[in-house]
Order: sequence, then structure tokens, then C-alpha cells
Amino acid sequence: MPLITPLIGSQLVDLGSALLLLTCFGIVAQRRLSACVDLFAVQSVFLALTATLVAFLTGIHHIYIAAALTVIIKAIVIPRILKRVIERLNVTRELVMNVNVPSGLLICGGLVMLAFFITQPIIPLGFLLTRDSLAIALAIMLIGFFTMIARKKAVTQVIGFLVMENGLFLGASAAAYGMPLIVELGVFFDVLVGAIIIGIYTHRLHDAFDSVDTSKLTILKE
Amino acid sequence: MVKVLVLIVMQTVILLGVAPFIVGLIRKVKARLQCRRGASVFQPYADLVKLFRKQPVVSTTTSWIFTATPYILFASTLLAGLLVPVFVSTIPLSFAGNIIALVYLLGLGTFFLMLAGLDAGSAFGGMGSSREAIVASLTEPAMILSIFAIALTAGSTNLSTIVHKTALLEGIVSDPSPHLMAFAALVIVALAETGRVPVDNPATHLELTMIHEAMILEYSGRYLALVEWAAGLKLLVFLTLIANVSAPWGIATSLEPAALGIGLAAYLAKVSGLAVLIGILESMFAKLRLFRVPELLGVAFILALLGVIFFYVLRG
Repeated sequence: MPLITPLIGSQLVDLGSALLLLTCFGIVAQRRLSACVDLFAVQSVFLALTATLVAFLTGIHHIYIAAALTVIIKAIVIPRILKRVIERLNVTRELVMNVNVPSGLLICGGLVMLAFFITQPIIPLGFLLTRDSLAIALAIMLIGFFTMIARKKAVTQVIGFLVMENGLFLGASAAAYGMPLIVELGVFFDVLVGAIIIGIYTHRLHDAFDSVDTSKLTILKE
Repeated sequence: MVKVLVLIVMQTVILLGVAPFIVGLIRKVKARLQCRRGASVFQPYADLVKLFRKQPVVSTTTSWIFTATPYILFASTLLAGLLVPVFVSTIPLSFAGNIIALVYLLGLGTFFLMLAGLDAGSAFGGMGSSREAIVASLTEPAMILSIFAIALTAGSTNLSTIVHKTALLEGIVSDPSPHLMAFAALVIVALAETGRVPVDNPATHLELTMIHEAMILEYSGRYLALVEWAAGLKLLVFLTLIANVSAPWGIATSLEPAALGIGLAAYLAKVSGLAVLIGILESMFAKLRLFRVPELLGVAFILALLGVIFFYVLRG
């Protein structure tokens, strides 16, 4: 007699994915940079919990390793790096955005609907427990992408990028019970290096323009 | 018929009796978190008695709306309270309306309060009414949508059916996500509608920030008592709605005395717990600038919308 029936298991996975999506909206609505980083850390914890649940339900052990790595790298190391960048650069909140917060929220609501609409024909073809999460995973990727477009500060753009990566991870666990371990290790390494590089790049940007607004990069300078 | 009458009387007594206690409890929690001893949790009762004894002063420039509003507000809020299952899952007035009637009964009270704010012709009243109109027009869609999300999972707009099904774990097990989203949205809506901290500060009379206090600035004596009591009642109705829709466990499903006793105890525990939570939230967050309020309410709207979408997609 299994501890959790497949039906309840798949509902718990759905609930975990819904919590991930909830934190996405928190990031879109939040202006304070450090709060955005905290929300990203919380999102990564939810992602790890969902992945652990998938591992438990399917008995595929390498997903446990991926979940543990998610907690260590995305919930602890990367938020630390980003917080240090925020502290050193002395930027606390983002006041000017390309898209203001209320319309950003509405656009994200639309993106969620779009994601659900696109995955509608695909989902019934799947036979995995976690197939419903695919729609949410796509929605999270789109919202991460939107965050990168809507925000001007380099730090929030990084967070958008990382949110996209979280969406990809969720999508991989939803559609295929996770990628092979070697691929996931590579992805984690890439993400970590990416976050470090963007941190350094933000410092350079701050030194050159005295601001971390990436839209300044479009101005030509002699 | 007798049963319905008994239920109506019991629920009215409980709602009216508990409302000032909740207000006092929130104040006490906030005082404690600020390292003050704070007034007794029963202070609001004493305030009400005092106000009822005082002679009201009514400005000569006001019309009948000003004097009628406290009664309309009080009556409509109480009626709304009778449309919510409190400690028994049966609703006394279920023949009279469902969840949509509840939303618009509360809306009626708000509408008259806004008119009364304008009626006296003072600048503060008008300002308060204008702000209240912004907040009310933005909370309404979020509230209706979040309630629809819950109603969809239960397959009914009757709160009694919704509570029954959730208590038996029918709706919530097949769809935990819509419930979660709707719950989060309802909490934000409740804070905004009852003038709590991220939107309005009930403890201040600072002209730059007040919304609810600005509208009722002209009231005194028994009119003020009624308005204050109705405000406490509205808060209690929202807390009851949130508590019983998202965690209805312990609610009495029959009219046996034992079940009623357990239901009442569970109800008081749940509502007090939520009041303590509100006290903590109010101490943690600063009030938002007025122009940031639409962002918060936008979040509530989107959450509620997601709740509805999730219902169709996850179980489509």
C-alpha cells in the first residue's frame, strides 16, 4: 500500500507548481530588489519540494540529488551573491520600469492564459503523473522572460533569467521526470557561473555609468 | 421555521457580540508587539456603551442621508453576516440569497458611507469618499472572482453547500490550487475592504493617509457607535468567510447541542487566530502609499483570476 495514492500525489505536484507560480507574481509585483531575491529563494525551495515529491512518487533517485542541488545553489548561494551585489551597489528599489506594475501583472495573467492555451492540446497526450504542471512550467518561463524585458536594473533581469531556469527545471520534471543527472549538473554549473558573471558585469556597469540601469548601454559614447 | 428563527437570533447575537472583541484583540496584539501593555481586549465594548450614551451632534448642512447611513450600514452588514455560515454549516437566510448577495450587501453599506462622507460637505469627508471609491471599485472584481473560484470547485454559489463540501474534503482535494489562490486573494481583499494596514490605518487620524476615518469624521454619539460597530462587524464577516471557506473543520453540521458547542468553540478559535494573524501582519508591514494600493489589489485580482483558470486547466 503506497503512502500517497497517484491521484493525491499528482494533486500535490500541482499544488507545488501553483506555489511556484504564486512567487512569480510576487517577483513581478515587488519593487524592492532584496525582496525580489528573497522571493526567488522561496521559489527555489518550492521547486526543490516539488522535485522531491516527483522523486518520491516515481522512485527515480537522481531527482533527489537535483532537488538538493537546487536548495544549495538556487536558494542559498545565488541569493547570497545577488544580495552582496545589491549591498555593494547601494540600490534598494526599482522605481522606473519599462512596464509599470499593474499592467505588468495583467500581462503576466495573460501570459499564464497563453501558456495554458498552448499546452492544452499536448497535455492529454502525456501519461505521466505530473503532466498538468507542464502548463504552469511554461507560464513560469514566460513570466521570467517578461521580467527580463520589463525591468531595467541588471539585478532584476538576472532574477528573471533564473526564474526562467526554474520554469525549465519544473517543465523537465513535469514532462519527462527530469533530465539525466549529467545534464542537470551542467545546467546548475551554468546557472551558477551565469549569476557570478552577471554579478561582475553589474559591477562594471556601475563603475562605467554610475547606475545599474541596462538601458544606458544603448547610448553610444565617444 | 422555528429552527430558522432560532438560528437567526443565535447568529445575530454571536456576530454582534464577537465583533468588538475581535477589534480589541487586534489592538491588543499590536500593542504587545510594540512593547506596550495596551488596553483590555474588552475596551471596544466600553467605548460602544459610552458612545451610545452620548448625545450626537449633527451638522446643519447635512441631509437625511447622513442620519440614515449608520442604520443602513449596520443593517446591511448584519444581513451580510447572516448570509455566511458562522458556527453551523446551515445559513439562516439561505432562502434570501447566496454569495453574490453577500458581496453586494457589503457594497451597499460602503456606498451609503461614501455618500455620507460627501454629505457633510467637509473637505476630509469628500477626500475619504473619493479614496474609498478607488479601493472599493478595485476590490470588488477581485472579491467576486475569488469567490467564483471557490464556487466552481464546490459546484455551487451557496455558501452552505461550499462549506459542506469543503468540510467533507470534496472540493479541496480535487482542486487544492484554486482554493489556495482564492484564499490569498481573499486575505488581500479583506484587508483592503476593512481598512486594515497595507491600505488604510485604523489607528490614525492623520489627514494625509486616512480613508475610512476621513469618511466618518463628522459622526458622533450613537451614530458613531453604530458605524464603529458595523466596521467591526464587517471585519468579522470577512474573517468568518475566510475561516469557514478555507478551513471549515469543526463547524457544526447538525443542530445537536454538542455539535453546536464544538462548532462555536472552533469558530471562536479560528476567528481569534485570524485576528492575531492580522495584528502581526499590521505590525510587520508599513502602510502603502495610496498610489501603490492599486498594485496590491491588482495582485489580488490576478490571484483570483488564476484560481479560476486553474480550475479549468488542471482538471480540464
